[in-house]
Amino acid sequence: MHIMEGFLPHPWWEIWFAASLPFVAYGVSRIGRMARERRETMPLLAVAGAFIFVLSSLKLPSVTGSCSHPTGTGIGAILFGPWITSVLSTIVLLYQALFLAHGGLSTLGANVFSMGIAGPVVGYLVYRATQRFNLYLAVFLAAALADLATYIVTSLQLALAFPAADGGVLLSLKAFAAVFAITQVPLAVIEGVVSALMFKYILQARSEVLLRLNVVSKMDLVRLQGG
Amino acid sequence: MHRLLDDYAHENGLRGVSPKLKLAIGVFSIIACIASPMPAVPLAVSACLSAALIALARIPWRLYIGLTAIPLSFALLSASVVALISPGEALVSIGALRLSSEGMWLGLLLVSRTIGGTSSLFFMALTTPMTEIFAILRSMGLPESLVELSMLIYRYIFVLLEEAMMVHSAQDMRMGYSSIRSSISSSAMLASVLFIRAWERGERLMVAMDSRCYSGRMPLVESHSVRLDHLAVSVIYILSITALLLAVIRGGSA
Repeated sequence: MHIMEGFLPHPWWEIWFAASLPFVAYGVSRIGRMARERRETMPLLAVAGAFIFVLSSLKLPSVTGSCSHPTGTGIGAILFGPWITSVLSTIVLLYQALFLAHGGLSTLGANVFSMGIAGPVVGYLVYRATQRFNLYLAVFLAAALADLATYIVTSLQLALAFPAADGGVLLSLKAFAAVFAITQVPLAVIEGVVSALMFKYILQARSEVLLRLNVVSKMDLVRLQGG
Repeated sequence: MHRLLDDYAHENGLRGVSPKLKLAIGVFSIIACIASPMPAVPLAVSACLSAALIALARIPWRLYIGLTAIPLSFALLSASVVALISPGEALVSIGALRLSSEGMWLGLLLVSRTIGGTSSLFFMALTTPMTEIFAILRSMGLPESLVELSMLIYRYIFVLLEEAMMVHSAQDMRMGYSSIRSSISSSAMLASVLFIRAWERGERLMVAMDSRCYSGRMPLVESHSVRLDHLAVSVIYILSITALLLAVIRGGSA
């Protein structure tokens, strides 16, 4: 869900830039600190960013027959936390605009807010809240809800910029949400399933990576591999 | 999907033009498109930049048309929503849907802005290699860690895309993606293999860069200087679009 170049009128594109800036600036300062303290984080963060880009340029099978793109930000938030994911998403969105013409420069602020901030924050909170019960369910919910959060925020951004005649923002929010629901809701479910399965494969193959990233605890691992 | 625009950026007819100038033209065009209250300005921007891309930069026109189709489909969908919910006197109404003339104008304006903005984006993406953009970003004073991270990500996108394509072909040969169910499991497998390989590559990259005295700052080549004739053409373009923009704004308020 990207808003295309030229679609958001003044003053909305500036507002979303201003809204995204503090989050991304904080993320950048954290990354700068990490790079100074632990030299080895930088290359790992780089492959993480590239991973999110490639993940979001893969075509997922969609129920409606059309090919849709996952956002990859839910799984990013689980693996690297919401702050770092917001910086990685900003860079990835810039590349998507310049490489694939998904999104744009003037709408970058709005897209960062929906895909790089709202989605990862929701995904991270959901994962941390439901992790105790069932790890795979937690990953599914986090990825799916991160997707849905992104899509709702995007619809809201469009609705705020183009309020309806009678019924204002609420009515146009309904209109945009309805139009995009056709592709976005099945996509969120599929991305959730794919993310949960992916988690399972990573646990089978290289569980120590997840331990080091602090995504799962020793306890979880013992329970999953023993049970 | 994987014909990245960056391939063209390295071998187009405008390669010799100063990247600063090209970015300035691109950013100016985007702002002119958003600022315009009428479709005329974005359409003029799109016409000028598309002509420059096809005639001067020698980008294959079929490719260019194909590229613009992606954002246009989104723009048409969203613009029709905007057109149907905008306030104003209804021209046509079908049930709950009503199309006012204001709504129709707004929809047209949005579609034309997307066309103009997309042309401006492509003008930058298809003529300026990413490495030159990094050099400019660094000279603009963006945080060092951010520029560095962007460069590493850029490098690794290509590495991982290649891996992804190889894994994808291998899965295809082994009956992956043959049904919805197997597609989902194949996609998940691809993503997990990609993550694990990305992680291992990251660890190897660190060792490789350390052994080559990486200090957290990659050297970048400084870009070409601005040539006078390029500058002249750009100034003429910027002035005429600005004049058109002012005329449209004046005409709109009169």
